[in-house]
Amino acid sequence: MKTQKSRLPSMTAYVVLGIITLPIILMYIWLLLNSFTTQMKYGVIPTNLTLDNWQFIWSDVVINGTEMPSIWTATLNSFLFAGSLTILELIIGVMAGYALSRLNFPGRQGLLKTTMLLHAFPSVALLIAVFYILNFLGLFDSLWGVILVKTALQIPMTAWIIKGFFDDVSWDVEWAGLIDGCTRFKVWYTIVIPLIKPGIAAVAIFAFLAGWSEFLLLYTFILSDENITLAAYLQKLMSNPNVINYGLLSAVSIFYMIPVLLFFIFTQKSLMQVNATGGKGV
Amino acid sequence: MKIELKQVTKAFNKQGNAVNDLSLTIQDGEFVALLGPSGCGKSTTMLMLAGIYKPTDGTIYFDNEPINHVEPKDRNIGMVFQSYALYPHMTVLENIMFPLKQMKVPKSERVFRAHAAAEQVQLGHLTARKPSELSGGQQQRVALARAIVKKPRLLLLDEPLSNLDARMKIEMREEIRHLQKEIGITTVMVTHDQEEAMTIADRVAVMKDGSLIQYSTPMDLYNKATNLFVAQFIGTPPMNFISGDLMKLGESYTFQENQQSRLIGIRPYDLKLGNQGNVIMNATVSLVEPLGHSNLVSARIGDKLVRFFADASYRADRGTPIVCSADLQKIAVFDKSTGQSIDTEHCIKEAFAV
Amino acid sequence: MGKPNVVVSAKKNTGNSNPNRIVGFLQKWGLPAVLLGPFLILITIFFIAPVVLIVILAFTNMDSSMVWDLNGLLNFKKMASDPNLSEIMLNTVFYVTLTLSLNIFLGLSLALLTTYFIKQESVGLIIRTIWMLPRISPPVVYILLWLWFFDPSEYGVLNSLRMIFDMPPANFLADQPMTAIVLANGLIGASYGMIIFSAAIKSIPGDLFMAARVDGAAERSIIFDIIIPAVKWPLMFVTLWQLLSLLTSYEYILLLTKGGPLFETEVLALYSYHKAFQSFEYGYGSAVALVLVVIALICTFIFWRIFGMDKMIKSSRIE
Repeated sequence: MKTQKSRLPSMTAYVVLGIITLPIILMYIWLLLNSFTTQMKYGVIPTNLTLDNWQFIWSDVVINGTEMPSIWTATLNSFLFAGSLTILELIIGVMAGYALSRLNFPGRQGLLKTTMLLHAFPSVALLIAVFYILNFLGLFDSLWGVILVKTALQIPMTAWIIKGFFDDVSWDVEWAGLIDGCTRFKVWYTIVIPLIKPGIAAVAIFAFLAGWSEFLLLYTFILSDENITLAAYLQKLMSNPNVINYGLLSAVSIFYMIPVLLFFIFTQKSLMQVNATGGKGV
Repeated sequence: MKIELKQVTKAFNKQGNAVNDLSLTIQDGEFVALLGPSGCGKSTTMLMLAGIYKPTDGTIYFDNEPINHVEPKDRNIGMVFQSYALYPHMTVLENIMFPLKQMKVPKSERVFRAHAAAEQVQLGHLTARKPSELSGGQQQRVALARAIVKKPRLLLLDEPLSNLDARMKIEMREEIRHLQKEIGITTVMVTHDQEEAMTIADRVAVMKDGSLIQYSTPMDLYNKATNLFVAQFIGTPPMNFISGDLMKLGESYTFQENQQSRLIGIRPYDLKLGNQGNVIMNATVSLVEPLGHSNLVSARIGDKLVRFFADASYRADRGTPIVCSADLQKIAVFDKSTGQSIDTEHCIKEAFAV
Repeated sequence: MGKPNVVVSAKKNTGNSNPNRIVGFLQKWGLPAVLLGPFLILITIFFIAPVVLIVILAFTNMDSSMVWDLNGLLNFKKMASDPNLSEIMLNTVFYVTLTLSLNIFLGLSLALLTTYFIKQESVGLIIRTIWMLPRISPPVVYILLWLWFFDPSEYGVLNSLRMIFDMPPANFLADQPMTAIVLANGLIGASYGMIIFSAAIKSIPGDLFMAARVDGAAERSIIFDIIIPAVKWPLMFVTLWQLLSLLTSYEYILLLTKGGPLFETEVLALYSYHKAFQSFEYGYGSAVALVLVVIALICTFIFWRIFGMDKMIKSSRIE
């Protein structure tokens, strides 16, 4: 009697969770199925299996008579964008994070407060001014320009998270290194950096995914087809005024999401941690 | 190596000094303990010897050479941390070899010397492991081996035993002492445990609020405390204190309680039941705790509680009036306001004939 | 640091007394300068400078010709008389409050259900992981899913469902655009609250639940007397943080409805974007952005007053 009564809430919990979670899974499954069929019965049941939707991989897509840029150009650009962003963010973030965590210098308190302020600052409201600066520097419609902008917008948060990792390294270990004959710099890269490697790896994945998924900055500051990225490629297909070809769109989406899904499956635990410490966005 | 601190002061902010006007000389090969409650400045002093902190004022000499601004890596010292501070990503052997690697010692010699150091601390069989696979005591030995492997001029031990269990503590205490005498290295240890300091060190420097209170051998610290703080801090069970005056009554002395400016201190081991001693006091028993080899008696003299040892066969109920006594030479007298010790002879008052 | 006489007397031992001062100087300024240099440069160019620029631009009527032309408070007067602005403001309030409520409600429910009601750790984890999917998906892909969901033809999910009940296809995105926006944003935001609330609930010592049961507490009482107090602070944190993000983000709206139809889903942040990058009224767009920045800054300061940031700042311990 007793056990039955206490099981009731958890049964209800399963049912409620099932009802609200199932649509999410179904949407992603649809994405996958739809990319391999020509038509979906009632919009959800796959009928004719085909690889037609995946043609974009070996031939350029033509829509309304205009040829889309090659998917491989977009892929390469996306990799260039996300990769450079990751490397820049890590190098600058590790350097700044260490200085913020461990060094005494005049104005340290002020800089820490500024970093926190920027972390919470509505950066997207600044796009107009950023546009002016990119234009001024001659970096408008250049991937490198957007890489720098994205790095700058992300770096306060990244540096802050990495500072947290450094804060967790005990002073004793660092002191021991100094006494054992290292310079401050040598202690840094032979002892401290290896200790925070797991944290840095998580930040790296986070940075890469943020770059890979970036849409708004690229959409706003990149015009030419040669600099197109996967996000812009997909958006271009979606905004086509004629009937939307969901088969092609799903195939491109799946293609676009491969790295995301890989990282997601293998590292979701550490991603959740980074997210909990202060991910931005809605 | 001889170490000299001359009027060393360290301030982290303007509110106060962490270490205040500290002067101290440590002879070559000596084992000195810095003893005091937490926040007394003993760790700061050690970190200044290590070169992690630089003195705000004053000078530190190693063999008569000022080293205030010499970086830790150039001081040729070894240090064991309270947390051991082993490098978690290196094996035991790599940890021990690390200081030698920084000195650019050739690889083969490095391995040889590291193995020798590991043997010295009885860790020869564990050199391939990572620190996380070792017990607390073993990690401690690794830290010790790493500290001595480069044959430093000075060995610093920061609360080295505080993370070990009671049995391990005694074992490591003896081992550290043995090792120190064997290599004859000048050693400074920081500790808050007076028993540890007393048993291991040649000389003990007691610190309080950033200042040196007393610097002498363990025996002198126990028997000739110059200061109330030292007398209270040293010895288990702690010294008994009663406030009042000593009165001369013929050949013997008696104690008269009052709230005047003097405190009379008697070690629990020096206070005895009966009137064999020449300072005699009346007390009432409040508790008798059997310890096996003897009984610990708590009794009241006036409104102060004192403790002393009695035979294991001694029994008494609460409230039993007793007579206890101590020898005059074993009694210490302190000024209540300054805390300084006063010559006992000067405090004896002649009792008026009744 | 040290007194001059000490520096001089340290000569013989170190053998580098002359460079001593330089070394000291480098230690004080050199290392921090090298380590922080790139960080500072980047932030100055793409963060600090834009803040200054947007303030100045707000007082100009710069357009695509990129000519600086100060026009005083004209932009703000224009804003006061902008016929669309009242609707946009109302949209913003609707969008933020509704999405925020959905976020918090969903986040808290998910956290409660997956950590407290479901005792199996692994099931809870799997469900939380699934809810992370929308967050981790690129925005363009995520919005594609919603576009398909709301597709006006009979192939859309919603319309397929309606067909089963013999209802004609509807153009939901045109009829109920705000609902669509709130749903799409709310689902993503929910995962953020979910993670933080789950962590808070998990950190409640298990003994507490047992003690409450022994004391005869009902399920409802456990939730309201033990769990809710424990997530009070995280709840406030997430609410304020999400409020801040929602006020200033418009990426998903831009992708899903472009603010339309007409101005039905246009929010303040998106309006600023449209003014600048569609009508090329950079000056006016900046003025709108400035209003937004000021509101966001006020939120940020409230945020700090409540959560305090001084406690996170510690001093270096090597000299």
